[in-house]
Amino acid sequence: MSRFKSVLDQGAFAVTAECGPPKGADPDVIMKKAELLKGKVDAVNVTDNQTAVVRMSSLAACVLLKRQGLDPILQAVVRDRNRIALQSDILGASALGIRNILCLSGDHQSFGNQPQALGVFDLDSIQFVQVVQRMRDQGAILGGERLSRAPDVFIGAAANPFGDPFNFRLVRLAKKVAAGADFIQTQCIYNLERFERWMAMARERGLTEKVHILGGVTPLKSAGMAKYMKKKVAGMDVPDGIIRRMDGAPAKTQAEEGLKICVETIQRLREVRGVKGVHIMAIDWEDMVGELVERAGLLPRPN
Amino acid sequence: MITAEQKPLDEIREMIAPYKRILVLGCGSCVAECAAGGEKETGMLASILRMAAKMEGREVLINEKTLERQCVKDFVILLDDIIQDYDALLSLGCGAGVQAVGDCFPEIPIIPALNTEFLGETKDQGLWLENCLGCGDCKLYHFGGICPLARCSKHLLNGPCGGSVGGKCEINPEIPCAWQLIIDRVEQQGGFERLEGIFPPKDWSKKQGLGPRRIIREDQQR
Amino acid sequence: MGSAHMNDRERLTVAFFYCRNIPESGETERQALEKEYGPSIRLFPIPCSGRLDPVHLLSALEKFADAAYLIACPEGACRYFEGNRRAGKRVERTKEMIAMIGLEPERLGMVINTKKRPKGLGVITAEILERVKSLAPSPVLKNSRVEEEKPL
Ligand code: SF4
Ligand code: SF4
Repeated sequence: MSRFKSVLDQGAFAVTAECGPPKGADPDVIMKKAELLKGKVDAVNVTDNQTAVVRMSSLAACVLLKRQGLDPILQAVVRDRNRIALQSDILGASALGIRNILCLSGDHQSFGNQPQALGVFDLDSIQFVQVVQRMRDQGAILGGERLSRAPDVFIGAAANPFGDPFNFRLVRLAKKVAAGADFIQTQCIYNLERFERWMAMARERGLTEKVHILGGVTPLKSAGMAKYMKKKVAGMDVPDGIIRRMDGAPAKTQAEEGLKICVETIQRLREVRGVKGVHIMAIDWEDMVGELVERAGLLPRPN
Repeated sequence: MITAEQKPLDEIREMIAPYKRILVLGCGSCVAECAAGGEKETGMLASILRMAAKMEGREVLINEKTLERQCVKDFVILLDDIIQDYDALLSLGCGAGVQAVGDCFPEIPIIPALNTEFLGETKDQGLWLENCLGCGDCKLYHFGGICPLARCSKHLLNGPCGGSVGGKCEINPEIPCAWQLIIDRVEQQGGFERLEGIFPPKDWSKKQGLGPRRIIREDQQR
Repeated sequence: MGSAHMNDRERLTVAFFYCRNIPESGETERQALEKEYGPSIRLFPIPCSGRLDPVHLLSALEKFADAAYLIACPEGACRYFEGNRRAGKRVERTKEMIAMIGLEPERLGMVINTKKRPKGLGVITAEILERVKSLAPSPVLKNSRVEEEKPL
């Protein structure tokens, strides 16, 4: 069974982190990241050609992480595979002992290093969640054909409380829950007020009873990064207060300021009713995850 | 209608280079409406190509003619009497028009002068929008009359994605997010409850199930 | 090279397409201008410059002209000024097209008459001729021109 799931079932505040596979066939990169994360987090998301940049496959990297004793979360995007390939990958992942799947749309191919690629988008992320849920719970693929053995996976989806239209965001979360999502990892949270409003609406709809919501955080390395995220990343809400705080810190200690903000955010997330954990996306900064978890008072991790 | 844009001149000139007697063939239907391959555009292209040939001192016969429609054989056969004067056809029809003309005169090489783009709407003078993929199974009713397949960059049937901000698409801030449009429209027509159900995966067999599609209508046949 | 250039200059032919509402562009003025410049200019009155299709400019370049210009009325003087604005954009696009085959874009152009104290046709054509006089004879016409000259 998924360790991640058992941590959530115990009612402990869960911690997940993100691991980007290398742009190459070198397994050692994954091994090193595994060493950094071991004992610090409950599960590790392995990104699937994130920002549409070609990298080692998520499934392969998941297997490498698993060999190192970590509980990987396979991220799978609908951008590159049609329903045949997606369902086949779910079966393969389960057979290899991968117990968590995060179903995503994926960044559009135009953002990456293969802008001439055909975007598949045969299923959307909600349909994908539903397909995996039926494979697991009904032992059947799309169209109803039976599987010789159902996959054993814990199913996740993403949510962005900061996208528009705000009044429809909850509808979309509800659709993901209805489709069968067991857990939700959110977009990076910098605007806590808006996140809390979104959570209140989720509670009102009874969604927090049905799904484990993990708040996403990304420590800021510099004021420049904060501004870049605000300006360039669609659906990312970085309030001016955060920018000012990063700007106010001298260049040398901006990274430390970013970590402080992140620790404070995690602590505040722990107080929000219905938030079951935190998902740390330390972009190119995996070596800070351990310290971050420790400073947030989240060590040791439950067994 | 079908929209198209003229290919870069260099590409056209490279393709016609081997030929000496070229008929530049316009089409008076869709591509005339989108100002890519109608009579005027055909005249301009032919004129430019003649000038280019003269500047190079090459003896090339370049004539122009515009058919009412290139994708309907009844119009294409009007070329029967003149076609033998040429050793190549440069067509300003859409991809279907180019092929229809090519099928009628298989012995003559046919060269496309346009890049065929999409099934679109003339939104405004000089502005054409892609808003239908010709999926063979129209679901516009469920989406307030706005097609998520054609107009959402990720073809989401259960959108919007997390990148929809301020009504704009994350792929290109110049274009509206189709899902914002859908939600606004459906809301305007009585609330978006109907978007709360999970829309099932698209049946693409209606588009590509049996290979290239054909429509056969016996009541229309000769 | 330089001297050949000098001699060639006199032989430039410029086509003018102008709106009939341009001052001093009536039949008598037109004939006077034609007499004055001889084969250097060709004048084509049109009902509205906004309606001119660039294909006419192109065929002038193709058949006889070293340069072809559209002369339009200013905003306020023309009820269809929108049309002129669009004609301006179409001329720009046509300039790009001729540039792609290696012709100088200055061989085409559109001139909008001044709003305050509009100029007469003679003044405008003189200004345009001055503007294009440094152009070499059109390479499009060079071969046909030689042939034409032979009988002379
Ligand atoms: S659903 Fe969309 S792509 Fe399909 S026919 Fe209708 S408008 Fe066209
Ligand atoms: S922003 Fe809107 S149109 Fe663009 S991909 Fe997302 S849902 Fe589709």
